[in-house]
Amino acid sequence: MSEKSKTESIIRKLREIMETCAMEELDWSKYGPDSTIESLGLDSLTILDLLYDVEQELGVHLEARDIVSIRNMGEMASLLIDKGA
Amino acid sequence: MKSIRHFIEYCLARILLLLVDTLPFGISCLVARGAANLWWVFDHRRRKVARDNILRAGIETDPKRALALARGANHHMALVIVESLRSRKILTRDRFRDHLEIKIKPDVLAALENPDQGLIVASGHFGNWEVAAHFLSRYKPVAGITRRMNNPLMEKLVQSRKSAHRFRPIPKRDRNSARFLEVLENKEILALLFDQHATTHGMIIDFFGYPAATFKTVAMLHLVTRAPLCFGSCKRVGPLKFEISTSHLIECPPSGNKNEDIRSILNQLTQYLEASIRQAPDQYIWGHRRWRD
Repeated sequence: MSEKSKTESIIRKLREIMETCAMEELDWSKYGPDSTIESLGLDSLTILDLLYDVEQELGVHLEARDIVSIRNMGEMASLLIDKGA
Repeated sequence: MKSIRHFIEYCLARILLLLVDTLPFGISCLVARGAANLWWVFDHRRRKVARDNILRAGIETDPKRALALARGANHHMALVIVESLRSRKILTRDRFRDHLEIKIKPDVLAALENPDQGLIVASGHFGNWEVAAHFLSRYKPVAGITRRMNNPLMEKLVQSRKSAHRFRPIPKRDRNSARFLEVLENKEILALLFDQHATTHGMIIDFFGYPAATFKTVAMLHLVTRAPLCFGSCKRVGPLKFEISTSHLIECPPSGNKNEDIRSILNQLTQYLEASIRQAPDQYIWGHRRWRD
């Protein structure tokens, strides 16, 4: 699988996970690699929900230091790929 | 009009601080108790909530004794303010052992002394949590959630007093959704009080046998970051004397069942809190509407 299609696949998976943990009803199809973490409407609790689900669904544990530096979905996808997702 | 009110509030607070800083401790306590008594006379609603909560928790069965206990808890709150304002004078390097009896479990102490590790300390509105935070800041900086005051002058005053020790306030609501994670990433102590009504975001956990909406953040932070987590309390055992104690570290690796993991952690923390409250029920804030059914 190419780097681009792998990123797209991870982002698709992230969208699915976010649909279950987000507090607001959003049209997730609009969100892509450039979407910032703030734009996803995740608060301090839902971001933790997301990270728990990412670990369970993708088998990747993200450290606090990884998470605080992530700015958008593309960076999160790259990080997950680097960690073996 | 608002700015005039803020200025009057600020002036009153400065006078109060001056009194607390200059009067002997015993006199400060008497003044605080007097203010608490005045509050008690006028705040009918809080009085009733406190009495009913004590009865519901089964701490007392007789309404008159429950009311007396609620009044004691009201005095306690006034003392918490005076003690907190005094804490920088008593918790100095050479004097703190005269005021504190430390009962920290060895695994928690190891986490506190490890510069490469953050620590989550969960507690409730029991005893003097401000003194506890001040003491913990001897090990590493402490961050905790504080509500921003409506009066900006008062906010500045409070912050200037808090910064006397290594305490960093974190806003309850903020655009930075990773603010708790940053504390742990900086290997600091994140102190969270989990025992207030958590509205719709909470998980229902039994508190003294009755379901109460409980904040999940503390449990989720442990599950996601694996940062060590413990329960801590700071009970008053005499005038300006406290017993600081912790549980052992609470270990709960993620099992895949998120809700059960959260429930398991919150149940343990709640049980520790209940045990602390039973030891000194007059040192708990009973006036908060924890059960809202």
